[in-house]
Amino acid sequence: MSVRTLATTQQRQTLLALQRTKERMAANQTRISTGNRITRPSDDPTAAALILDFGNSIHANEQYLKQADSALSFLKPTEDVVTAAIDQTIRLQELAQRGLSPTAGATGRAAMVAEVDSIRTSLLSLANTQSQGKYMFGGTATLGPQPFSGPAAGPITYNGDDNTISLDVTSTSSVNINIPGQLVFFGSIGGQGSNTDLFQAVTDLRDGLAADNTATIQAAYDHLKLALSNLNQHQADLGGRQAGLLNLKDMVSGFNVTLQDLQNTQQDTDYPQAIADYNTDQIIQQATLNTMARSNQTNLFDYLG
Amino acid sequence: MPGLNASLFLGLSGLQAQQSALNVVGHNIANVNTPGYSRQRADLTANQALIQGQVYFGTGVTLNAVQGLRDRFLDLQIYRETSRQEGASERYTGIEAVSTSLGDTTSSGIAAQIQAFFQGFQELSARPEDSALRTNLIGKANTMISGMQARYRMLNDQRDNANQAVTSLVTEVNTLTKQIADLNREITGELVPGSNNDARDQRKSLTDKLSTLVGISVFEGSHGEYQITLDSGLAVLVSGQTSFDLKATPDATLDNNYYRVDSLMGTTTVNVTADIRDGQLGGKLDLRDRILVDFQQQLDTLAAGLASQVNLQHRAGFDLNGVAGQDFFLSGVANGANGIPALMTAANAYKGMVNALTVNAAVAGNPKLIAAGGIAAAGDNANAKRLANLQLDGGVNAAGVVLGASYSSVVGTLINDVGTTAQTWEAQTTAQENLVSALQAQRDRLSGVDLDEEAANMMILQRGYQASARFLSVINQLTDQLVNEFGK
Repeated sequence: MSVRTLATTQQRQTLLALQRTKERMAANQTRISTGNRITRPSDDPTAAALILDFGNSIHANEQYLKQADSALSFLKPTEDVVTAAIDQTIRLQELAQRGLSPTAGATGRAAMVAEVDSIRTSLLSLANTQSQGKYMFGGTATLGPQPFSGPAAGPITYNGDDNTISLDVTSTSSVNINIPGQLVFFGSIGGQGSNTDLFQAVTDLRDGLAADNTATIQAAYDHLKLALSNLNQHQADLGGRQAGLLNLKDMVSGFNVTLQDLQNTQQDTDYPQAIADYNTDQIIQQATLNTMARSNQTNLFDYLG
Repeated sequence: MPGLNASLFLGLSGLQAQQSALNVVGHNIANVNTPGYSRQRADLTANQALIQGQVYFGTGVTLNAVQGLRDRFLDLQIYRETSRQEGASERYTGIEAVSTSLGDTTSSGIAAQIQAFFQGFQELSARPEDSALRTNLIGKANTMISGMQARYRMLNDQRDNANQAVTSLVTEVNTLTKQIADLNREITGELVPGSNNDARDQRKSLTDKLSTLVGISVFEGSHGEYQITLDSGLAVLVSGQTSFDLKATPDATLDNNYYRVDSLMGTTTVNVTADIRDGQLGGKLDLRDRILVDFQQQLDTLAAGLASQVNLQHRAGFDLNGVAGQDFFLSGVANGANGIPALMTAANAYKGMVNALTVNAAVAGNPKLIAAGGIAAAGDNANAKRLANLQLDGGVNAAGVVLGASYSSVVGTLINDVGTTAQTWEAQTTAQENLVSALQAQRDRLSGVDLDEEAANMMILQRGYQASARFLSVINQLTDQLVNEFGK
């Protein structure tokens, strides 16, 4: 059988094939140069949506990591303040113990008043500490008024509120980043003047020392012990929260590595494949151009005299 | 026995026939690269014989007809498939132009910008007192809005481009149909049916061109005339010797005063805007009125869901001054109870939402008005967290617009949609390209000019001519013998 085969048909079909080869080469070149397997959504619509999904989760986790860092940036200074308050309270206990000792005498006790006063001032300023522009112990009244205030010798009052502030550190869990001041310095909500009120204990100690009254000093000593155990408890709590956050950060970062891997398998160019494809197409292109150039060379007219 | 004169005429007919046939070969060669040309063949027939007694003497040859070699059914099929190929390729090109930006999965994509906005609320929840974070959040909201608007505008630009092509395509269609009707007149007026090959070829070439512009169905009538209708069959473009124009008029009922396409058939005018399926015109109208609109509607719905849920949650909170929150987003006019303007509804696919969306100027001017607090306290972050968590489920407050999925999966659906649509039309284009190319190869096999074949024919005819001339010279010698030498 013979079919009429025309040079024009041949050229047209070869040209179409050649254009498609060039199109494939261009796509592969983009894949190789960008490192992305998907250069436009139509390359793989499902994978494009998946990549977006993975990317979204990765960014969300990165944000949660940032939130965890923010939480740590509040918890750490809070813990530092509580630790400082513990040191001061221990010093107060030492002073009370010395005051209780019979060898101290009235003059010795009166001499300690000044130190107690200065510790009281420093405790008050600790309770009013600001971190990153916020009062740390004012509940949600972070911009003021000062959480703790009062006369130099009289009882200290609490002006903040008792709300906690929490940050979301994963989509399902959150962590409290503050402790309302009353809990730390009064021992409980509305604990002003109670046995666990640190400021009351300091005021009592000062008054006992000044008045040379050992019974009052003894009572203040007992109350300081209760206040100290309250502070220790909060210190442990703050440490625990920070440890939990560090664990969580490790977990979220690990999870992100997995997500990134998954995203990469969808997104990244398979280099050996892309380069092999490109080379094959290049050979096809050269061969096609070569035969195209030759096929038009011979014609019966060449032989007619 | 025929006389010498009869033999002279016989030789002459041979000479004339070979020369005419050579002329046909020359015409074929001259048109080897003419689009739509069908090769022609000289139809040589032996003349009526001269009967003397019982003997039939031949009287030479006549060129009976010049026949064009064509398969008209194949032609009709090519017109139809070419229309479809052009329609598919037009749609594919239009979608590809927007798909990369619309389907951006990197940090500059819509999904990433929306996420960044909600993360702004999350960051604010760590330091609700911080005015820098508040200002930053407004910036992120503006980036998100302008990101969506840029995509929306890009879709609009593509629609505008498609629309601008409509008038020039309609003009071209009208010119072509007029020419085809004229050729129909020539063809129906031919003396012998089927003899006007070149008018047919010209008409084929014009119809080929017409089929790339607009989707058509072509039928050939009993006198060889073309009847051309739109592919939907709703309007006639050419009927015999008459052509009916299409007309593009700006229509206020269409988006952006886009062109409506009417078919003017005598006194009746039919709106065929939605009834041109293929060809460049069909593809462009489909892009303008359906495909790209669908993407825009998805963006509008996304913006409506987002603005509505953010506004409702924002109203539930308290700003840094301890005052209940206002609307975070505004869209030109005041928002209703569902957090978006009352005139934007599901029924109109929240049309215009993306374009109208802005951050409430009062909030943008005074970021303290961002309602981060769940209670009236400076350090409270409950509402900021609730706002940030909207991104997880897209907001489920039934009083507002509920999308039913997180914003990222709404964007994911859009990207998937864009990709799948582009993929479909790409596959369709390739398939149609293959089909048309195969049909053209089939047409070439029958109608194309093969230079080798023409060269061979030329040699044969040349030899025929030479032999006829030789025959004449022999008869001439015989006559000479008879007239001048006989009886000397």
